[in-house]
Amino acid sequence: MTGPLSVLFGWAFLVPLAPTLAFVVIGLFGRRMQRLEWGGWVAVGGALFAMVLGVLIAVGEMLTPGSYTDRSFQWFTLAGSGTGAFPNGFSLVMGTLVDPLSAVMLIVVTVVGFLVMLFSIDYMHRDSGLPRYYAELSLFLASMLGLVLADNLLQFFLFWELVGVCSYFLIGFYYQRPAAASAAKEAFLVTRIGDVLFLLGIFIYFQQFATAGPALGWAAAGFPFVYHSAPFLAGIPISNPTLFTIAGLLILGGAAGKSAQFPLDVWLPDAMEGPTTVSALIHAATMVAAGVYLLAITSVFIGFSATDQLAIVAIGGFTTFWAATMALVNRDIKRVIAYSTVSQLGYMVLAVGAGFTMVGLYHLFTHAFFKALLFLAAGAVIHAIETQDLFKMGGLRKTMRVTSIGFLIGGLSLAGIPPLAGFFSKDDVLGGVYLAAQSHPLYWPFFALAFLTVFMTAYYIFRAWFLAFSGDQPRDSTLPQAHEPPWTMRLPILVLSALAVVAGLLAFVPQFGGLFAAGARFPPTPGVPPSYSATDLLLSGVSVGLGAGGILTAYTLWGNGRVFTLDARSAAQPIRRLLLERYYVKAGVDWFGLHAVYGLARLADFFDQYVIDGTVHGFERLFAEFSLRLRRIQSGVVLDYAAYVVAGLAVFLLFFFVIVPAIPALGGG
Amino acid sequence: MIPILSITLATLFVGTLATFAAGPRARYVAAAVSAIFLAEIAGMFALFSAPALGLALPTQFAEPESYPWIQVAWLHVNYTVGIDGISLVLILLTGILQAVTVAYSWTEQRQPAAWFGLVLLTCLGCFGVFAALDVLLFFVFWEVVLVPMFFLIGYWGGPRRRYAALKFFIYTHVASVTMLVALLVTAFYSHSASLDFASMAASAQTLALPTQIILFLSLFFGFGVKFPIVPFHTWLPDAHVEAPTGGSVLLAGLLLKLGGYGLIRWALEILPTGLQHVAPILYAVAFASIVWGAGVSLAQRDLKRLVAYSSINHMGIVLLAIALYSSLGLLAAVLLMFAHGIVSALLFMVSGSVHHTFGSRDIATVSGITPTAPVLSTMTMTGALASLGLPALISFPAEFTALLATWDKIGFWVLIPLGALVITAAFYIWMMQRLLFGTPKSIPVGAHDLPYPEAFAMGVLVVLSVLYGILPNLLIHFIQLSPVAGLP
Amino acid sequence: MTDLPLAGFVAVSAVLLGIGLFGILTRRNFILLLIAIEVAMNSAILNFVVFGSYWNSISASSVEGQSVAVVLIGLAATEVAVGLAIVLALNRSRGSINVAEATTLRL
Repeated sequence: MTGPLSVLFGWAFLVPLAPTLAFVVIGLFGRRMQRLEWGGWVAVGGALFAMVLGVLIAVGEMLTPGSYTDRSFQWFTLAGSGTGAFPNGFSLVMGTLVDPLSAVMLIVVTVVGFLVMLFSIDYMHRDSGLPRYYAELSLFLASMLGLVLADNLLQFFLFWELVGVCSYFLIGFYYQRPAAASAAKEAFLVTRIGDVLFLLGIFIYFQQFATAGPALGWAAAGFPFVYHSAPFLAGIPISNPTLFTIAGLLILGGAAGKSAQFPLDVWLPDAMEGPTTVSALIHAATMVAAGVYLLAITSVFIGFSATDQLAIVAIGGFTTFWAATMALVNRDIKRVIAYSTVSQLGYMVLAVGAGFTMVGLYHLFTHAFFKALLFLAAGAVIHAIETQDLFKMGGLRKTMRVTSIGFLIGGLSLAGIPPLAGFFSKDDVLGGVYLAAQSHPLYWPFFALAFLTVFMTAYYIFRAWFLAFSGDQPRDSTLPQAHEPPWTMRLPILVLSALAVVAGLLAFVPQFGGLFAAGARFPPTPGVPPSYSATDLLLSGVSVGLGAGGILTAYTLWGNGRVFTLDARSAAQPIRRLLLERYYVKAGVDWFGLHAVYGLARLADFFDQYVIDGTVHGFERLFAEFSLRLRRIQSGVVLDYAAYVVAGLAVFLLFFFVIVPAIPALGGG
Repeated sequence: MIPILSITLATLFVGTLATFAAGPRARYVAAAVSAIFLAEIAGMFALFSAPALGLALPTQFAEPESYPWIQVAWLHVNYTVGIDGISLVLILLTGILQAVTVAYSWTEQRQPAAWFGLVLLTCLGCFGVFAALDVLLFFVFWEVVLVPMFFLIGYWGGPRRRYAALKFFIYTHVASVTMLVALLVTAFYSHSASLDFASMAASAQTLALPTQIILFLSLFFGFGVKFPIVPFHTWLPDAHVEAPTGGSVLLAGLLLKLGGYGLIRWALEILPTGLQHVAPILYAVAFASIVWGAGVSLAQRDLKRLVAYSSINHMGIVLLAIALYSSLGLLAAVLLMFAHGIVSALLFMVSGSVHHTFGSRDIATVSGITPTAPVLSTMTMTGALASLGLPALISFPAEFTALLATWDKIGFWVLIPLGALVITAAFYIWMMQRLLFGTPKSIPVGAHDLPYPEAFAMGVLVVLSVLYGILPNLLIHFIQLSPVAGLP
Repeated sequence: MTDLPLAGFVAVSAVLLGIGLFGILTRRNFILLLIAIEVAMNSAILNFVVFGSYWNSISASSVEGQSVAVVLIGLAATEVAVGLAIVLALNRSRGSINVAEATTLRL
């Protein structure tokens, strides 16, 4: 099919290339670009180009749905040797793939990316090291777009790692703060664990599909993401189902690392040490969603076994609840939103696990906008009053009207209040899981956890809103006078507010909704846009009720400048401390890293120096001792030497005339 | 046909002599020799790309030349040289590292003629090892490498240089004698017509299985010490810590590769049956090296020791890939050797520059160097990220291939090297956190960023890491032009 | 000469060697040591002459034994010359020609 915009599909590679160029230009010349905000406007330009082209391509995909690939760049070619694991060899390409999934992600990444870049101009203005910031942010955007458009699993992995390393550098942007450097390290290492699992998953798929009959050609072609009538695992006879189940679990491990799912969730709250813009772009809207995207494409192209699905549902459902509890008590405005991100990612994972891939993607889409909005609004607050402590804020509604409304819209959307974006997608997730649980009873507990979380979500986000914006004045009077941010910061907040309102409704536009329901190529995805049967309406009603209840509770405890203090002798105190201490997981991870791993390494080093090298030195001493003794016979007295000669002769004679004839074997007999 | 290998050997020989004789101008001679060497390597690549030659592979060696050398009744030694894709790629590495070492030590003040001459002599030896196809010729070049390295460490090295140089020499010499004896025994026991590679590879198949196994194990020990394999590795950290930067670059970049190359060409290809029977032993040694190298790295405070132990880890993966005995594994091994050559050279240069900029390599004391030395800091990051296998940098295609081959051959054992990848990431990331980031500490007054020659040398390596990371096909294509590409 | 048995000459030669070796092992005076070496050497020369004559009686053209004996006599003379030179040097520098005292090569 060709449409008016089809010509653009061949140019999709320009979408990641534009920010890449921005990265190169800023990296080389950023120090001299004082008038361009040290490269900031170059980065905005690259992001703008990517956004325009990316959105146009997505629109093209809406008009002429299908899968469009460009596989002209050979990256890694292995000639087949006729035998062995890869008889036909394989040729991995760096290609671009435009399909409904990547179209959705293109919109999310380019729009949020552009808005965050724009927001950065004034937000970051006072910092030093801006060329580095803009270069890294541009590289991040490029890598994320490369990941979205990836044509095969290995290319996906490549950009996945690049995205991770950009995140590492951006978390550590304020590298002179030890906390930031430490958080960056933690983020990199925890996600690295996931990456290693993901890599092994790729190995299993590559090897198994290279020898599985119908997919043989798929291997030779370099394992591209191609649509078949059904995912591979549903379409071909599987010789080794256990192995594929393991592969699915490994992919889940990778996704859990990137998307901060339990138990690899510890890094994301700490990642808030980076600039707030980075948190908005990377640790809320785009990169952390890559894990969900990975699960989505795996489920669409390859497929998960029933065991995998249960594991995914369990991880997602539990994380939803687990992260939300920790958000209930936190004092740091950014960390509250960070926990909410982990929790919301849990919803997406839950949906994908339950088989509703496109529903998960739908929630990813809406979440990106309202979460970026929340972060940027929080960023505006931090920019204005230079603190992240909710308990020092207060009354900002009066001085920062636009920001407070933006945060309110984001909060309402997150709480799932109709008709905002979060309402539709979250309801859709819950409805989907409810449907799936009918036939999979083991899903019920996780459905219940996710349902319960709706209440907590509304509570913690409105607790934050009331603490920051309601009341008469800041609780800490030493804070700087708050002010409304300049237009470069207001505009992204306004645009994102608008999107947080309408993003959910967009699914009801047939062309756009078509991205989420592109025919029979996808696993059955009823519900995008949500359909409302009687059961669904009931579920929606209850969940909206829970959300409203959460808001009311927050209002009762924190509204109008009130500060709720838990009695020191209250039975809930241990729970509060447990939550503040993050269930002691962080302490456990630190202990494990510093004492278990580093301690073992020290032990190994000791062993290496004193046992292995000690043995070497022992031999050295042995030989030295031996030669010292041997040396004594070299007395310098000629007569001694003469005696040795005679003795040598005697031995020689003895050997040849007595010993040799005595041994028949040597005597030649 | 142009005898390009002999011409190259002759130019290197004359160039080395000229450098020794050039006195204070030695660096210009050395630079000229490096440039000519690189041009000759380009010529070899061109010949390989020519269809007439390229298609004749992968069953034979390109550019073969053979002349009788020592001929007595029972001994036929020839001057036989020839290269295949594997040697070609490693020769390219030799040329690159020779050039960047000369560039890095451009301002060497102590005995410059001897310094540059010995650097060139080391590279001459390495080139000879990669090109020789006769046991005795191979051994001569193998020993030629040892001597200049002994003096590079022993004269230009750190405070414990004499200990380190002697330890290095004794270890590698014991190993190389073992190797020589095993090769000669192979030749004589199998009644090989000559000491040529081809003749030995053919006749060695007639040996009895136990003989093959014993000989292979001896060869494995001989080449393994060079890798180095655990537990015969303790010479490496000492040698690196004491060696001057240029010496470390050549030691890690080239000398360790001799072990890998030797194991492929003179052990695996000559005694394949022996290898297949003892593969589990090799796996075990490789796993030990991988885990041990990574684990001990984590505990190091000296940047150079850290990089040295990480070399043990990486060469462990090379050994694993070779032991797999598959075309994919060998491809991975050679790619990884090339990648490690580039990356470890970069990291040792970084260590050297950190040392003479900040007066210490102790990453627990020196910290926060980024504001003082942003360029050096960027080089450190690139090196560390490349070494921990970040995609789009040179090591990733190699490690990916190696681990894929491992998975394919021995299944879930691959979890050991995969787990070590996490530790590798941990020690590099932690090193960066301590050395580059945080509050500046122990920064001497007047510390400055990289001088121009050092920045140039490292810049070249960074560019190559990116180039080959994005276009690994530039190497993969050639590596596959080898007799071993036909393995299962 | 042909009348005398070969074994007799070999026995004399062996006795000479024994005397020589005894002298070498027991004498500390350099000159006596030289004489002992000379005796031992003469036992070898005697052997060459005797066996040369013996083979010559079997195949008439063989003179290798005699020629080697002549070379050895020359060698013995050279050796004595060098030895005596050492004796003189030793005597000049140490004032003694006791070999047990001369344990270093340095003068």
